Amino acid sequence: MDAVTGWWDDYFWGSMVVLQVFIFSLLLMVLFGLIGAAAKLSDNRVAQKISAAYTVIFRGTPEILVILLLYFGSAIFLTSVAQVFNPEIKFVDVPPMWAGTFAIALIVGSYATETFRGAFLGVKPGSIEAARALGMSNLQTFVFIRIPEMWRLALPAFGNHMLSLIKDTALISIIGLNETFFVAKQAIGTTGEPFTMYIVVGAIYLGFSTIITLTVMGLEKFGLRTTEGAR
Amino acid sequence: MIFDLSLIADSIPKMLAGIGITFQLMALSAFLGLILAVILLLMRISGKWYLSWPAQVHIYVFRGTPILVQIFIIYYGFPQFEFIRESIFWPILREPFGCAVVALSLNTGAYVSEILRGGVLGVDRGVLEAGSALGLSARHKFIYLTTPIAARLALPAYSNDFISLMKATSLASTITLMDMTGIARTIVAQTFAPYEIFISLAIIYMVLTWGIQKTFGRIEKYLSRYVKP
Amino acid sequence: MTNSASETLIEMQNVDKFFGTFQALKNINLEVKRGEKIVVCGPSGSGKSTMIRCINRLEKHDQGHIIIAGKELTDDVKDIDAVRREVGMVFQSFNLFPHMTIVKNLMLAQRLVRKINKVEARETAMHFLERVKIAEQAEKYPVQLSGGQQQRVAIARALCMKPEIILFDEPTSALDPEMINEVLEVMTDLAKEGMTMICVTHEMGFARSVADRVIFMDAGEIVEEAEPEEFFKNPRNERTKKFLSQILTH
Repeated sequence: MDAVTGWWDDYFWGSMVVLQVFIFSLLLMVLFGLIGAAAKLSDNRVAQKISAAYTVIFRGTPEILVILLLYFGSAIFLTSVAQVFNPEIKFVDVPPMWAGTFAIALIVGSYATETFRGAFLGVKPGSIEAARALGMSNLQTFVFIRIPEMWRLALPAFGNHMLSLIKDTALISIIGLNETFFVAKQAIGTTGEPFTMYIVVGAIYLGFSTIITLTVMGLEKFGLRTTEGAR
Repeated sequence: MIFDLSLIADSIPKMLAGIGITFQLMALSAFLGLILAVILLLMRISGKWYLSWPAQVHIYVFRGTPILVQIFIIYYGFPQFEFIRESIFWPILREPFGCAVVALSLNTGAYVSEILRGGVLGVDRGVLEAGSALGLSARHKFIYLTTPIAARLALPAYSNDFISLMKATSLASTITLMDMTGIARTIVAQTFAPYEIFISLAIIYMVLTWGIQKTFGRIEKYLSRYVKP
Repeated sequence: MTNSASETLIEMQNVDKFFGTFQALKNINLEVKRGEKIVVCGPSGSGKSTMIRCINRLEKHDQGHIIIAGKELTDDVKDIDAVRREVGMVFQSFNLFPHMTIVKNLMLAQRLVRKINKVEARETAMHFLERVKIAEQAEKYPVQLSGGQQQRVAIARALCMKPEIILFDEPTSALDPEMINEVLEVMTDLAKEGMTMICVTHEMGFARSVADRVIFMDAGEIVEEAEPEEFFKNPRNERTKKFLSQILTH
C-alpha cells in the first residue's frame, strides 16, 4: 500500500466528484421518477405511452450505452446548433460530468418510476377514505396521509436505487469524468500497481454503499415505528 | 442531424457479429453465477459462522462496489502478482474473456444468492412443519419442499437480475473485448456517428431484454400452474 | 397387541415449556392409552397447541419427560424421527404441499420416509383418498380444492403413514361453517375405527359424541380433566365454568 501514499489527495477529490454526481443525479432521479409515475397514473393516454416507452427503453439498454449516447450525442447536437450561429466552431465539448449525471439519473429514474407508481397504488384506500370521512381536505389527505404512507412503502426499493446511482457513477469514468477511477488510472501510470490502485477505488465505493445502506436502514426503522408498536 | 440509414444498414450486421460473445458471456456467467449463488446460499443458511460469514462478506463486497471496478481489479489488477501469473488460473485470467466471465459470475452470484435467500425465507413455515410431522429429514425437506417453492418465489426477481447481467456484459468492451458494444464503439470512433450506431445497438439490446422477459414469463407461468386455479 | 386396551401410548410427565421468559406449559401430566380419544379445549393462548406440538417435537419441551410408544423424546434425531413415524398431525391451515398434486402430497413421505415403491405408495394414497371421499380430486393441486376438501386430504396424508396416533390442531377453525361437518364426519369415522386421537378443538358437539376424556387448559396448565358427560354437566373449576358459559351460549 506504500504506493498509494501521495495519491490520497487525488482519491479524496475524486470521491468528492463521485459525491457531487451522486447528489445531483439523486435529485434528477427523484424528479424523473415522479414525473414518470405521475404520467403512468394519469388519464392521458399519450402521457401513459411516453412513460411506458421511457421505462422500456432505459431498463432494456445497457447503462454504458446510454452514457455514451448522451455524451457523444449531445456534443454533436450542440455542435450543430452552435454552427448555425458561428460556422467557425468545429466542436462543442459537453462536460462528461453533466452528460453522465443526466444519463444515470435517466436510467435509475426509469426504475424509480415503477417504485413510485407501486407505492402510490399501495396506499390502502381505507386510510384515504377514513381521512376524507374525518373531514380532511384533499391537500391535507395528500400531505398527511398519502405522502408518509408512500414514503414508507417506497423506501426499501428507493435505497436500492441510491445504491445503483452511486455504483453507476463509476461508468462515467468511461467518458472521462475525473473521479476515483480516473485517479487510479493515473496512479497506475506512475506506480505500476493496478491491483492496489483499483482496490482503493473499490474500498471507496464500498464505503459510500455502506453509508447509504446504513442511512436507509435507519430511515426504515424510523418509518416502521408506527407498525412496530402494534405488535 | 439526419440519420444516415446506409450507415445503420452497414453497421448492424457488423455489431451482430459480436452477439455471439454477448451470448457466451451471458450464458457462462449466468450458469457459473447460479452455482455460486446456491453455494453462497447454503453457506449462509448452514448455521455455522465460519461458513456464513465468508458468504456474507462476498455478498456485501460484490453488491457494494461497481461491477466495472470488479472487472478492472481482475483484468488489470491481478497480473500485478507473480503468484497469479504462475498459477493454474493464469490461462483464464490472461484473457479478457476469462476475466469478464469470472467478474460477471462473482457479481451475479452475489445478487442471485440474495434473491434465492428471499425465496427460501418466503416458503410457508406451515408447509415445512407438515413435512417434519410426516417424518421428512431436513435434507428431504430442503430438496422436495423448499427448493421448488422457493424457485417459484424467486423467479421474477431472478429474471430481472438476468437482464441486468445481459446488460452488464457490455462492460466487457472496456477490457478490449469485441462484443456488440465493443464493435459499436470502434465504429463510432471511425465514423463519429453516435446516434445511428448507439441507437441501433440499443434497439438490439432491447429486443434481447424483451426475449429474456418472454422466456422467463413462460417459465413463471409453468411454475405457477399450482398457484391459482 | 392383545392387551392393547391398557397400553399407554403417550405419557407426559411434569412437562414445562418456555418461549423466552413466557411459560407456555406448566407441569403438564397426561397419559393417553391406545384407542383413546382426547379433546383439548381452552381459551386462545392457553397452551393447547403447544402441548400437542411438543408430542411430535415441533416444539421442544424444556423440562420433564415425553414418552411416545415407549420411546422418550430427547435431542436424539433418531428418536424424533421414530416418534414422528408413529404420530400423524393435522394442522389448522392444512399445510398441504402447494406445488404437488393431491396424490403426490400423499405419496411423498411414504416414498421418502417409509421407502415404499411408487406403485404401492399410489395405491395406499388412493385408498385413503377414497376413505375421505375425495379420490376424484387426486390429480388436482391443493388451491383447486375447497378448505374442507383440503383438510380431508391432509387427514388422508397423515393416514398414509399408518400412524398409531393422530394429533389434530384446531382442524376446523380455519374453515367456513358449511365445511366443518364434512371434516368432523371423517374424524368421527376415524374415532370409530379405534384410532388414538388428540384433538384441540372448540367443536363441543364432536367432543360430546366422540371423546373419552375432555381436557380443559388455561394459562399453560391442565385445569380440568373429565369424561365428556361429567365435563359439560358438572364442571368443577371456576375457569372451566366461565369458559363453557362463553362458548356454549354462542
